[in-house]
Amino acid sequence: MATTDPTAGFRTILVPVDGSPASMDAVALACNIARKNKGKVYAVHVIEVKRSLPLDADLSDEASSGEGVLVQAEKVAQEHDFKIEGELLQAREAGHAIVDEAMERGVDLIVMGAEHKAPLGEYQMGRLTQYVVRAAPCSVWLWRHPVHE
Amino acid sequence: MTSSARMYIIIVGGGKVGFHLAKELVEANYEVLVIEQDPEQARAIADDLGDIVLEGDGCEASVHEKAGTRRANMLLAVTGDDEDNMVACQVAKQLFNVERTVARINNPKNEAFFRMLDEVDTTVSATSAIMAHIEQGLPTTHHLIQLLELKGSGLELVEVRIPEDSRVVGAPIKSILLPYQSMICLVVGNDGQPKVPSPDTIIHADDEVIAVTLHESEEQLREALMSPPPVRSF
Repeated sequence: MATTDPTAGFRTILVPVDGSPASMDAVALACNIARKNKGKVYAVHVIEVKRSLPLDADLSDEASSGEGVLVQAEKVAQEHDFKIEGELLQAREAGHAIVDEAMERGVDLIVMGAEHKAPLGEYQMGRLTQYVVRAAPCSVWLWRHPVHE
Repeated sequence: MTSSARMYIIIVGGGKVGFHLAKELVEANYEVLVIEQDPEQARAIADDLGDIVLEGDGCEASVHEKAGTRRANMLLAVTGDDEDNMVACQVAKQLFNVERTVARINNPKNEAFFRMLDEVDTTVSATSAIMAHIEQGLPTTHHLIQLLELKGSGLELVEVRIPEDSRVVGAPIKSILLPYQSMICLVVGNDGQPKVPSPDTIIHADDEVIAVTLHESEEQLREALMSPPPVRSF
């Protein structure tokens, strides 16, 4: 029996981007899958707003650096011959915003880049990654970068 | 409506009371934050209501700093622990200038003390509320029934049912010596008709009288309206 391609069903893909190399690799990966399946890629950058400020506070510095990250993601997509849709969100916690966005857009897959971080000598998965893996209704791919020596 | 114009309400304590309050307030489109100490409970609320939970001790100033309590319009302290509720209100009022604080009272014996605190604007006690209902339902009680507290003035609205043997039965209102800052606002007769009383309105047995009084004058008002006429000894 021939096995079916497990990526065939992934048409709409959400990629959270924070500007890290791993998140840019995730964009490239998502573009390749979406192109093959004639799908769409949404790159989302979330600005976390402290509770001391209202959610719609004007955070121009964060917004412009967020725009920069999205431009960077668009460039990566162009290199892979694909056009993505970028979005900037303000939320209290990035994890919740990403999962909400995935549900609202009804995406088939979230591709997330993560760095290998071991602040206490032992690898710890970030709060955001943990939340998305736990709460997202769709498939989640985690692209972890190799361990830095 | 922009979110900066929305009222920001902080709930300390994510138990049953806090959870359902938060749910109602979110549905009413308020900006809500629940401060909950127990990580599991905090997570359960976040799973249900979304990103509106802060894990931490609602008695600690540093937690309130994170919560943005400074811009909160209201703080509701509804944990199952009266001391925690008191401290949460004090921190919110004294350090963060929150406009209004509401404290849940678990042990009704603490109610009088909470009312004396400037940092607690409103107290809510399920036990007292149920007691008041029971008293209201009884045919004759020898108490005043407290209906409402008018915060700020120290005045309260009370209800009295005039007993048959009361000294005021058959007397006009102007002849009743009421305590300081007390006033009869409404008289509901046997027929169920409410009347705004004049000085000449006659009080009958079984009339329901709604009066305004000071908390500390309650006993004197009860005496004036409910006690039998003095026994004459001659």
